[in-house]
Amino acid sequence: METGGNLQTTFHSIGSSTDWIVMVIYFIAIMLFGSYFGKYNRSTKDFFFGGRRFAWWLIAFSIVATGVGSHSFVKYSAKGFEHGFSSTMTYINDWFFIPFFLFGWLPIIVYTKIRSIPEYFEKRFSPSARFLATILLLFYMVGYIGIGFLTLGKAVIPMLPESFTLFGSTIPITLMGAVVVIAIITGIYITFGGQTAVIFTDLLQGFILLFAGFFLFFLGISYIGGFDVFWNLLPTEWKMPLAHFNDPSSFNFVGIFWQDGVAGSIGFLFMNMGLIMRFMATKSVNEGRKAAAFNILFMLPLSAIVVGNAGWVGKAISVSSPDVVPPNASPDQIFVVVANIVATPGVFGFIMAALTAALMSTVDTLINATAAIYINDVYRPLRKFFKRSNEVKTSKDDKRELNAARYASAVITTLGVLAVLAFKNFPTVYEAHGYFHSTLTPPLVVAIFLGLFWKKFSPAAVISTFVAGVALMIVGLHDPTVISPFDHGIEMNENHPYSYIRALYNTFVCLAIAVLVTLTTNKQKELASRLRKSTNGIRITYALTGASIVIFALVLFDITPVELQIVLILVMTGIVAVITTYFVKYDQEKHIEGLTVWSVNKAKEMFKGSKLNDEEGEVIKLNWKVKDHKEDTAHFSKSDMKRMKANVGDLVYLCDARKILGGLKSVHTVFGEPHDETGLVYINNESLLNGQFVEGKLLSAEKEM
Amino acid sequence: MPSFFNSWLPFIYLYGVGGLFFLLGIILIRKSGAIDMKKKRHRYWYKVIIFGFFYFALLHAILIIAAIYW
Repeated sequence: METGGNLQTTFHSIGSSTDWIVMVIYFIAIMLFGSYFGKYNRSTKDFFFGGRRFAWWLIAFSIVATGVGSHSFVKYSAKGFEHGFSSTMTYINDWFFIPFFLFGWLPIIVYTKIRSIPEYFEKRFSPSARFLATILLLFYMVGYIGIGFLTLGKAVIPMLPESFTLFGSTIPITLMGAVVVIAIITGIYITFGGQTAVIFTDLLQGFILLFAGFFLFFLGISYIGGFDVFWNLLPTEWKMPLAHFNDPSSFNFVGIFWQDGVAGSIGFLFMNMGLIMRFMATKSVNEGRKAAAFNILFMLPLSAIVVGNAGWVGKAISVSSPDVVPPNASPDQIFVVVANIVATPGVFGFIMAALTAALMSTVDTLINATAAIYINDVYRPLRKFFKRSNEVKTSKDDKRELNAARYASAVITTLGVLAVLAFKNFPTVYEAHGYFHSTLTPPLVVAIFLGLFWKKFSPAAVISTFVAGVALMIVGLHDPTVISPFDHGIEMNENHPYSYIRALYNTFVCLAIAVLVTLTTNKQKELASRLRKSTNGIRITYALTGASIVIFALVLFDITPVELQIVLILVMTGIVAVITTYFVKYDQEKHIEGLTVWSVNKAKEMFKGSKLNDEEGEVIKLNWKVKDHKEDTAHFSKSDMKRMKANVGDLVYLCDARKILGGLKSVHTVFGEPHDETGLVYINNESLLNGQFVEGKLLSAEKEM
Repeated sequence: MPSFFNSWLPFIYLYGVGGLFFLLGIILIRKSGAIDMKKKRHRYWYKVIIFGFFYFALLHAILIIAAIYW
C-alpha cells in the first residue's frame, strides 16, 4: 500500500498464489468452453451473427456479461465508493428510448438484412454517407475497446507486484504493459471463436458474474456486521439513487443524464454493433424484443447492484475501519481491495477471474463487431471497387473473408491498445468513458435517429451533420466556453472541462445542422441545378470542396478565433449541403422504402420476398428426414401446414425441440410443396449441416411470416 | 436531510425530460404504424413499454424515500 502524489492510496501484490491458480483454471475452462462452439461457424454470417437462431433468454443472459463488462465493476465500484448508490443511475435510465428501439431500429436492421450500421447509411442515403459513418463508427468502436483494455489493466494492476526481476534486471509493471499482455490473451480467443463462441461464453459468464457479484455483496455485508449496520454507516447522501443535480463536475446527475441517459443509451442500443449483433442473433424480431426488454427491466437493475456494491461496502468499511480501507483509497482499485478483504484466498481469485473474464467478453464482443464493420464496410467495398469480387459468392470467397476477419481482429486489438493512451490520464475510468461517450456518439446518434424517423432527412443533411456537426464539436473541444450555455450550472473543471454535459452541446449542434440543412433542401436543389447548368459547374464544385477542406482544417488546428470558426462552419455547412446535392443521386421515395419507421411492413415484405402471412399459427413438434433436394425448402404435411397456418413460400424456423439448447441447433428455411405424411418434415443436406440436428431428436417448427 | 438538488430535482428532471423522449417515441411508433394495435402481440408490447416507464419511476421514488426516511 502506498500514497501517491495525488494523495490517493494505491495497492500492489494483492491476493495469493491460490488466487492466481484459480484464475488460470477459470480462464482455461472458459476458453475451452468457447472454442467448442467455434464449430458452428460455417460462414462469415455465422462468425459475426451466430446465424440468427437463438432464443431470447439465451441472448438476454449473454448480454449480461457484455453490459456488466463494459459498464464495469471497476468504474461503478469507484463511483459507488465516492458517491454511493447513485452509481446505479446509469443502469436504470435506458427505458426512455425503448419504443424507438423495439419498434423502430430493431425491425429495420433485421428485415433489411443489414450487416453493419454504415450499410444502413448507404441504403438510406448514399455511399459517401456510408464512408463517413464507417470512419466515425470505427473511431467509436476502437475507443470503446480502448476503454475496455484500460479497465482490464486497472483491474489487474493491484494484484501484480510493482516490478519483477528477469535475468538480473528489474522490470517495472506498468499499466500499458499489463494492457498489452491482456490484449494478446483476448485476441487469441476471439480470433478462433466467432460470435457463437462469444454468445455461449457470455451466457456462462453472465450467470457466474451475477453469482459472484451478489456473493461479494453478501460477504461484504457479513464482514461489516449485517445490513442494518451497513445501512446506518452510510451518510444519507450516499443512499440517494440519483446524484446531486449539478455538483461536483466529476459526477453530477444532469451531466450524466445527457452523457449516459441520452447519448450513452442511444449509443449502446443503436450504435453498439456488439450489442446489435446479439439482437440480430435471435431467431426473430419478437425474440429480440423480449431479450432487450428483459435485459433492461430486470438484468440491468441487478447488474447495477452487482457492479457497484464493492464501492458501497468499501465506503462503509472506510467509515467504520479507516485503517482497513483508507477514505482516500484509489477509487479505481476499490473493487479489488474490498474483494480481497471480505473474501478468503481462492474465493478472491474466483471473483477476480469472473471480473476480468467478463471484461474480456466485452472487449471480445467489440473486436468481433469491429471486424464485422471492417469486412462489410471496408474490405468488401474495396474488393468490389477493384473488381476482385464476383457477383456470386463462392465458398473460397467466404474462406478468404473469414481469414480477413481474423487478421482484422488482430489489427483492431492493437489499435484498441493504442487507444488506451488517450484515456489513461483521466482520474477514473468512469470519467474517461463519460468523455468518450459525450464526444463520439452524438453525430451518429443524430444521423441514425433522424434517418430512421424523418422521411425528409436527406444525404446532404446527413453528410453536413457528419462534417459541420463534428467541426462544431471540435470548437467545443478547443474552447469549452461555447458549452457553458448548456452547462446547467455545472462548474467547469480546467483539466477535464464538461466531461459529461458536452454531450448535450454536441447533440444540439449536430441536431441543429441536421434540421437546418433538411429544411433548406429545396434551396440546395435549386443551387445544385444552377451549377449543373453552368459551364463551369464542375470546377466551381471542386473549388467549393477545396474551400470546405480548408475551413475544416482551420477549425481542426484551431488557427482562427472561435467566433470566426463558427461563422466559417456555417458557410461550410451550406457548401457541403450544395455539393452533396450536386453529386449524390438521391430518389427519396426509393431510398426510404423499408428503411424508416414509416415503412416497417414494407421492410418485412422485402425480407420475405413475397406477400406477408401474419396469421398466427401453432408451433408444432415433428420428426425429420433428409431428402436430397437443392432448393432451400422444407416439406411438411398438408395437415401440419394447416396447423401452422402456413402457405408454400412462407418462412419457417426449424429447431431442435429441446428448449435447453436455446436454438443452437436450428435453421431458417422456406415452406416447400406439402406431402401427406403427418408429423414428418423433409429437409435438405444444407439445412442439416446448418442446423446440426441430431438423429432421433424431434424438431419444433414455427412459421415466421 | 439532503437538499432538493440532491433528492427530488434529479428525479423530476429524469422523468420529465426523459419522459418527453419516451412520449415522442410512443407517438412516432403509433403514428407511423410500426406498432399495430390491431395485432394482439403488438398490444402486449405496448403495455410492456408503458409499464416499464412507471416501473422505473416507482423504483427511483421508493429508493429516494427509503434514503431520506428509513
